[in-house]
Amino acid sequence: MMPAITLYNYDLDENSFRVRLMLAMLKPEHATIAIDMFPGQEQTRPTMLAINPQGTLPVLVDGDLTLAGAEAILAYLAKAYDPARTWLPEDAAGFGRVQGWLHFSATMLENAKQARLQALFDTPGDETALRAGARKAFRIMDDHMTARHFDGADWFVGDKPSLADLTLFPSFALSRDFGIDHDEFPALRLWIRKFRALPGFFTMPGIPDYH
Amino acid sequence: MIEHKGWIPVTLSTALEPGTSAGTLVGGTELVVWRDTKGAAHVWEDRCPHRGMRMSFGFVRGDHIACLYHGWQYDTAGQCQYIPAHPTLDVPKTIKVPTYTAAEKGGIIWAALSAEAAEAAIPVEDGEVVPVRSIYIDRPFEAVLAALRNANIPAFTGDAAPRFETIADGIGIASTGDDRLLIACQPFNPTRTALHLVIQGSAETYGGAGQKHFARWAETFRLMLETVSTPVAEMA
Repeated sequence: MMPAITLYNYDLDENSFRVRLMLAMLKPEHATIAIDMFPGQEQTRPTMLAINPQGTLPVLVDGDLTLAGAEAILAYLAKAYDPARTWLPEDAAGFGRVQGWLHFSATMLENAKQARLQALFDTPGDETALRAGARKAFRIMDDHMTARHFDGADWFVGDKPSLADLTLFPSFALSRDFGIDHDEFPALRLWIRKFRALPGFFTMPGIPDYH
Repeated sequence: MIEHKGWIPVTLSTALEPGTSAGTLVGGTELVVWRDTKGAAHVWEDRCPHRGMRMSFGFVRGDHIACLYHGWQYDTAGQCQYIPAHPTLDVPKTIKVPTYTAAEKGGIIWAALSAEAAEAAIPVEDGEVVPVRSIYIDRPFEAVLAALRNANIPAFTGDAAPRFETIADGIGIASTGDDRLLIACQPFNPTRTALHLVIQGSAETYGGAGQKHFARWAETFRLMLETVSTPVAEMA
């Protein structure tokens, strides 16, 4: 029998990777269906539009529920499959802070996501502006983690890894795909090392696997 | 090779954990800064002789650093010792990464990029330090130095007026109130400069709030420098 959860996924898509990481860390049973995003743009074809009219990846189906948008899927998975309630904190301030970084991931980090797609697949966009926007976003993250380290904290929010860390990790870890090195972001270098050591962590193409 | 007379700061000591590496630039030349698992810091040219891959993308194993591409392993002298594709090969002595003299002092890792630089002492006092941060500013080295000499750094403790004393090219002590801040500048590339900030004082006084205070100043300083339309040197 098929598991209740199905992820429509493209391996080189960083938003799909966000959801794959969450599934690997929370370990609910699930199936993955490969969608040919490049060059096929299969997510915009009628069969996939019938499932997700937005024509985007990833898409998660869990029983009667169909969700698009990496941030929404992450929030749902945390609510549904993280009984310890650490990935999406229950307290109002922690919840708000994590939502803030999820919003940041969907807005400020869009530059990094588009810059990477352009570098890998020649998608349209202003290369200089996208890279500048990505660097600006990484600076905001590095400034934040610099201040967090002064408080002895290792994570973006609270004292445990949360969806904030999970959603921010891929764009920074993949930044060399579009020519932004990690040289200028010392606090983020320390943070991604911590994140890589989490149980269930695995890499995707573009993120070194130190075996 | 790179022409530099003095010691160049390349990272805060605390930003480089044992068994890790980081890339950086001095005058546009790529360097890898890495720390072996025993804790010793090394600064090399950031280039694997095999295919030119940045060594800073690689990984540290004990006292070797390995290239991410094909796993070629180099010892702390830069000598290639092991090539995974040819495990029984006695690696030729000619396969070597150019190395520089590295030293750690005052909370900072420094590199001497010439023999002349390596002979001099690092012009920084020993004593208790509290790291603040490294900050990368999109302005040339000289413009940043000019702005630093006129910087009005708010004190964390005490109320003496701020002043900046240059102790070597690109290295200075900012005094403000009762606080002393070591500011070491790294000429990153022609348009970008890195500042490495360390408080000369005790963790008891500066840990947490004091660190945040000076980190926030550094971020404000970066914003000010990057948003001015006229060269800062002319504003002063």
